[in-house]
Amino acid sequence: MNTQPQTTMTVEQALGQAHAHWNAGQADQAERLCQHVLALWPGQSDALHLMGLMAHAYGNLDLAIDHLRRACQAPRVPAVYLSNLGEMCRQRGLLAEAEVAARRAVTMDNALVAGWNNLGIILQEAGKLEDSLSCLERVVALQPTYAEAHNNLGNTLKRMGRLDQARQRYEYALSLTPAYAEAQSNLANLLNDLGRPDEALAAARKAIDLNPRLSDAYINAAAVELGRNRNEEALRWIDALLSYAPLHAGALTVRATALRHLERLEEALADARRAVAAQADNGEAQNVLGEVLQALGHPEEALVAFDKAAKTLGFAPEKALINRGVLFMERGDKVQAKAAFDQVVAQFPRSASAWFNLSDLHRFQAGDPAIAKMESLLYGPDSVQSQTDRTALNFALGKAWMDLGDGERAFAHLNEGNRQKRATFAYDAAATSRWMADIATSFPAAAFQGPKSAVAGSDLAVFVLGMPRSGTTLIEQILASHPAVTAAGELSALNNLVNQLGPYPQIAGHLTPEILGGLGQRYLDVIRPLAGSHRRVVDKMPSNFLFSGLINLALPDARIIHVRRDPVDTCLSCYTKLFTREQLFTYDLAELGQFHRAYERLMDHWRAVLPADRFLEVQYEAVVDDLEGQSRRMVEFCGLAWDPVCLDFHTTQRTIRTASLNQVRQPLFRSSIGRWKPFAAQLTPLLTALGIDPNAPEAPPEAVAEVVAAPAKKAAPKKAAAAKKAEAPAAEVAPAAPVAEEGAKPARSRRKPAAS
Amino acid sequence: MDMKDLELQVRPMLIAGRGAEVEAMVRPLLASGTGPVTLWALLAQALRVQGRVLEARPIQEMLVDALPGHLSTRFDLAETLLLLGEFERGWREYAYRYSLAHTTRIERKVQRPRWDGRPIPGKTLLIHDEQGYGDTFQFMRMVAWAKEKSQANVILEINHETASLARRMKGFDAMTVRGELPPYFDVHAEMMSLPMIMGLKLSDLPGEPMPYLSALPERREQWRKRLAPYQGLKVAFLWAGRPTHFNDANRSMSLEMLAPLAQEGVTLFSVQKGPKEEQALNPPAAMGKHVVSLSPEIKDFEDTAAILMEVDLLISIDSSPVHLAGALGRPAWVMLPLLPDWRWLQKRDDTPWYPTVRLFRQTEWGQWGPVIDRVAGALAEFKKAKGQG
Repeated sequence: MNTQPQTTMTVEQALGQAHAHWNAGQADQAERLCQHVLALWPGQSDALHLMGLMAHAYGNLDLAIDHLRRACQAPRVPAVYLSNLGEMCRQRGLLAEAEVAARRAVTMDNALVAGWNNLGIILQEAGKLEDSLSCLERVVALQPTYAEAHNNLGNTLKRMGRLDQARQRYEYALSLTPAYAEAQSNLANLLNDLGRPDEALAAARKAIDLNPRLSDAYINAAAVELGRNRNEEALRWIDALLSYAPLHAGALTVRATALRHLERLEEALADARRAVAAQADNGEAQNVLGEVLQALGHPEEALVAFDKAAKTLGFAPEKALINRGVLFMERGDKVQAKAAFDQVVAQFPRSASAWFNLSDLHRFQAGDPAIAKMESLLYGPDSVQSQTDRTALNFALGKAWMDLGDGERAFAHLNEGNRQKRATFAYDAAATSRWMADIATSFPAAAFQGPKSAVAGSDLAVFVLGMPRSGTTLIEQILASHPAVTAAGELSALNNLVNQLGPYPQIAGHLTPEILGGLGQRYLDVIRPLAGSHRRVVDKMPSNFLFSGLINLALPDARIIHVRRDPVDTCLSCYTKLFTREQLFTYDLAELGQFHRAYERLMDHWRAVLPADRFLEVQYEAVVDDLEGQSRRMVEFCGLAWDPVCLDFHTTQRTIRTASLNQVRQPLFRSSIGRWKPFAAQLTPLLTALGIDPNAPEAPPEAVAEVVAAPAKKAAPKKAAAAKKAEAPAAEVAPAAPVAEEGAKPARSRRKPAAS
Repeated sequence: MDMKDLELQVRPMLIAGRGAEVEAMVRPLLASGTGPVTLWALLAQALRVQGRVLEARPIQEMLVDALPGHLSTRFDLAETLLLLGEFERGWREYAYRYSLAHTTRIERKVQRPRWDGRPIPGKTLLIHDEQGYGDTFQFMRMVAWAKEKSQANVILEINHETASLARRMKGFDAMTVRGELPPYFDVHAEMMSLPMIMGLKLSDLPGEPMPYLSALPERREQWRKRLAPYQGLKVAFLWAGRPTHFNDANRSMSLEMLAPLAQEGVTLFSVQKGPKEEQALNPPAAMGKHVVSLSPEIKDFEDTAAILMEVDLLISIDSSPVHLAGALGRPAWVMLPLLPDWRWLQKRDDTPWYPTVRLFRQTEWGQWGPVIDRVAGALAEFKKAKGQG
């Protein structure tokens, strides 16, 4: 049956048959004929080329490249062989060799469409975007119905930030070839950038339906979920990808990020290290490794990873340089941080993320050129189109105009930025308020009369809690300056442990001393390794205010310090911040006010039911006025002897990881008290929700002593009709670096090398 | 228990049809409604092995939804859906038949695009058959339909053994034998991809023309003479499939088991081919005088086809002669295991694929006895109806 090479066959005939066999998928016969030719004529170019194509089809890329390199040494090598060598080298990451080969191909044959297309993708990957664009535009001019070329053009335009044009190209490619999985996946990536997560996810799903092994589509789907902080969903996409490609560097990278968000840092580190091991020159992987190392408190190692990422191609260097800046910022090295961000904007003048971070460090002056630059990025002829970039710029400009005291302009930007952010997620403010009322009802005063957990050593824990932006970081810093105290940062440990028990607060009805003891023990197991020789560990996760009662039941000797601050100042500060992780309630003034009211009612309840030796309230403004007095009060409450070093809190050498990080490094500043007054006109929806009349005569600040001494009389909160579970507002704060979220990447077209 | 250990323990049980035991082991581990993928996959297979395919289906769909890139899971789902007659998605998932650990190497990497089902007048379409002879006999009927739908010049590439039968079928323009260099073509389709490409529905079956294969007149003449000396009902039969078939243990039986078919007035002609064919030369004493082995005289499928035309009935396990009989429009009775191949569907004793074929299904895993008793009963009635009892 098999075509045996006949001795009478000419080389031309044998090659013709070999190609025909290969076209028909008859690899054995094709290979036999090629070997026959090569035996007669070692180095015969066409035979080597065909061997290369076959090796490529069977997934032996290195072997394929080896065959093609030799095929291309022939004096009369056809242009298409060079073009195929270029494409295979690109697939192998050998961009320099790829570019040389593809350029030789198109120099030899100026009308070789595949050659221009391959060169276009190579240049795109090498970051030579203008050149890539002109190559690919030539391709579609030569062959307007070439779907892959339109897709590739879309990728180049996307990298150039020209998202609308990119979208048109993807959609055109899909109109030509509706079942084009890569174009669907790329469209998904783009739609996510355009702030359309639902559509993006639908497109990614479609891509996976079309090609269940299109890894980029899984990564893009995961990036959509990461972008809206649904880390568990992101993990599911990645695990589906890893189920068939366990060493996929991109997948491991995204999983490391999701795990970092979930504070599963050791697992995140393992994945990031595997990703780097699988692909050392993957800048994205290096960046994520750095971010995880930084989260684990290894800034020096993190810097090494960022520096490696900065030397790669693609989007990684910009992100790496920003990560460096954030790292310096967290260390309190403002000078170096500023220098780092200055470097990013010099190198990547369109980096919204860099401008955003810079604005936090920068005190804007009248006529500041930075303002004009940011405005032109938003409104100029070549404006940035990514939705997250535009949101970040609005927050940055809001900050700038607030610095200059121009409330109208500041709020125009802040309102726009917050509106954009608010549009990316669903949040039910009324349900959240009901939920907080349910919490109070579930932990009535009687609950604190009964038996508590008998866990030993719970005096190790000190919880600093309250609204975000209320000064919890400042309080933590003061306490952490004491030699017997260490700060653990914002731990989600308690939240996670509570969730494991079941829906909160419904679990309140089933709490036995054993369950409470187990909860307390597991929490202590988390913080004990962080304590070292210290006698107190401060957990300043603000949202733990939701659990104050449960903390007292599970950890009876733990101290709780509730930080209070003027409601309007607190809410204004929240509103001006773009949190890295979701603070669902801070992007609408009315919702903010509503949340604050519910929080106040819940804290009224805790104050009424918790023992005074375990629950202390500190007014931020009072600390600013009388640092020593309030600090002594807190230290004493924690059962420690006074140490004046607490007053030098701003020199504490500890990395800080919250949105407040540029403030606590400074000595106390009064500028943050009553900051809202000049903006009262813009804050009407907030003031209404808070029930505050901006024209009312100034009331004297509530005396702290009164607050503490005025318990009990609050009416018991109304019984909620039904225990309806609301989404817990995740009140975590992390470094303000809304770097274009990790992982998403456009798939390139997998162009099959063309046979001659 | 460690998942790996559990799997090692349970896989042989599933192969032995001990689905209920495996189900009892796995269910409690999934009581919470969540659990590792492996466990769900084992549960689905435990249900399938018990013939509870409808219950396995939602589990398999969930697995595919969770792990779309895990392609063997998709193929498993295809088998379930096709067995349930859910053709549309079934054929789509069946496209992953070359994405399994043992099949990726045999996928034919044709370098021309696959036909997408649209008309392509003036172009050339290569349709090539795949693995089993049964598959080829069963799906050959679609070649003519593909020709009509594509309006293309159709080349049929087919294995050497079935080529001469296929040659007399209508509906293609040229034929090439597997392994030979086919003429130039623009697009291609695997024969078993035609149902997906053309959206084959149950209601399209059996389709026209029926029968679509025919025997050679001169061979029929030859076999008529060979069979003439035997009186009474003439029944061709076989009891074992190709031993290398993945499911052979499940579908094959032994010759002795067919003793109840050795009835007065019936001659059993062995058309068994392969390593088991010699058994019919020395049949068990109880069957002795009823069994005649034709096996050594059968040179090719043309002989088998001619025999099937000259006997009254074929009684067989699930093997390629059944498809040949069906395609020839000849009566054939098929004895099926509890979990049969997807093409036999479920809970019916006829098949939409072949109007002349009747199915006898196991009702308990591995138990052929009751199946053979029913076949024997039916044979007695058939004999009576033929007026030969």
